[in-house]
Amino acid sequence: MIRVLLADDEGMIRSALAALLRLEDDIDVIAECADGEQAIAEATRLKPDVCLLDLEMPGLDGVEVAERLRRTVATRCVIVTRHARPGVLRRALASGVAGFLPKSRDAAEVAAVIRRVANGTRYVDPEIAADALSDERSPLTDRELDVLRAGRRGETTAQIASTLSLAPGTVRNHISTILTKLAVATRQQAVLLAEERGWI
Amino acid sequence: MSSPLGAAESPPRARQLARSITATWWYTVIAIAAFEAILVVAWTSLAVRAGAPLVTTLLIGLGGGVWLLSTLLLLFAYRHRGDFEPTRPRAQVAMLLGVAVAYGAVAGTLAGSWSLALIPIAQSLVLLNWPDGIRYRVLSVATIALACLAVADSFQGGSVAAGEWWVLVYTALVPAMAVSSLWWWDVLVVLDHARASEARLAATQERLRVATDVHDLQGHHLQVIALQLELAERLHTSAPETALEHLHAARTSVGEARQGTRDLATRFRTVPLGDELANARDLLTAAGLTVEAHIAPDADLAPATDLGPVIRETTTNVLRHGGGHRARLTLAREVRSWRYEISNDAPHTAAGDGSGLDGIRRRITEAGGTLDVQRGDEFTVIVTVPDAEQGER
Repeated sequence: MIRVLLADDEGMIRSALAALLRLEDDIDVIAECADGEQAIAEATRLKPDVCLLDLEMPGLDGVEVAERLRRTVATRCVIVTRHARPGVLRRALASGVAGFLPKSRDAAEVAAVIRRVANGTRYVDPEIAADALSDERSPLTDRELDVLRAGRRGETTAQIASTLSLAPGTVRNHISTILTKLAVATRQQAVLLAEERGWI
Repeated sequence: MSSPLGAAESPPRARQLARSITATWWYTVIAIAAFEAILVVAWTSLAVRAGAPLVTTLLIGLGGGVWLLSTLLLLFAYRHRGDFEPTRPRAQVAMLLGVAVAYGAVAGTLAGSWSLALIPIAQSLVLLNWPDGIRYRVLSVATIALACLAVADSFQGGSVAAGEWWVLVYTALVPAMAVSSLWWWDVLVVLDHARASEARLAATQERLRVATDVHDLQGHHLQVIALQLELAERLHTSAPETALEHLHAARTSVGEARQGTRDLATRFRTVPLGDELANARDLLTAAGLTVEAHIAPDADLAPATDLGPVIRETTTNVLRHGGGHRARLTLAREVRSWRYEISNDAPHTAAGDGSGLDGIRRRITEAGGTLDVQRGDEFTVIVTVPDAEQGER
């Protein structure tokens, strides 16, 4: 019997999927969670074989949950998403996620993936992989991304400079290059664009 | 609706334009610095010809150099205008203006010229980041003052005397020349922003069109699904078999609607082949493999329609089957063809790989290429396709 934890903030989807999975002979849904915090608490308590985590959840998202569980609980995580934003698959793979599939897969396919993952293999949905391969590459250098990251909460140039141990003038030059490369007028817009594309 | 901006404006072109803007900025800086350098040299040579002592000449010349550097710093502050934060603290600006005042006072006194006393601070002032319109008032006042002082200088005689009136005229004109250079730079920046807005507008229009298409498609499928479900509801007691069929049909419609939406969203999604390979390398690295990638620098020229699906399929295979510790990715240009090779040290099971690779083999053969699969300790796929550009010649 494969013991499965289900986390999804949409109640209808969560209960329907749980009911469908329970129909499978070898799968038992032992917990249904509505957000990331709850998923971590339940997973720590019940130690399920496989965690099926929705990517888009309030608070901690699926990948963050997987990242935390990796260090504490011996369980394998599968991320489910409606719309894989750029960079998410890379992030998920780097945090040791064992499976990644779109929400549109029906319950039988989800069950098949749960079995594979429980057996210790990895599963990446071809559709998600194709999307990740056609992500737009960031035109920014690593240093420029550092500058954007350090200033994403609206920090001043001086604060960014001290965080990165750079001269304020250097930071200003980086920002100016970033604005030109992304063809936007302000740093805030650059940060939004970079977050939207999953570069930072 | 992945990246409509990318569809409307290809990144390499944007980068090229960004470079031209930077080049224009340096051209502006050099022009203004040259105006100032000529000014300093002219006044220094006047001092030499008037037989001034060496110390005087040096002070006028070297002091001019210092002042020139201070105006360059002001110019670099100007470059970042329009950002929300003040680009240079007020204290620094005051210090740079102080340099100008000091040089004016020293050089003006030594050369005995009112024009030379005023020009450094006048020039530094017009380079400040004034709001629109104010700069022209500052410039007018500075030019009129310089013109009056030039007249005063020419009556007064002194070291300027003896017919070197052109230096006075040039001095009065330097601020105007600097401002016109900066005006030209401002125009260019506005044009560049307009270009960017235009690209964004095109992207937005595209997005609206896609939204309409999605709406139509979803509307149609939802109606079909609603009807099927209604039928199933009515029939489920009288004819459960038929009801089940309608339920099944409804599910099929959902799948179609989903696929249609996805196709619409990905219709404009094309990335250069080099980017796709770089993404593949990043994904494999993130998955914990040691990746050795040899990607030809001109990879974007390789036939993307043939190689794109191959790269997607083979990378996905390596990713989803996991296992292994190493992967090697190569895209190289050969004499008349492109060669793509991917290998992974995990022995792949034949099951599951077959169908995807067969589809690819068909495509590649149609394009006049070859596909070779080697299974052993390593799983290797080697694909060669003819170089489309070479073929046309």
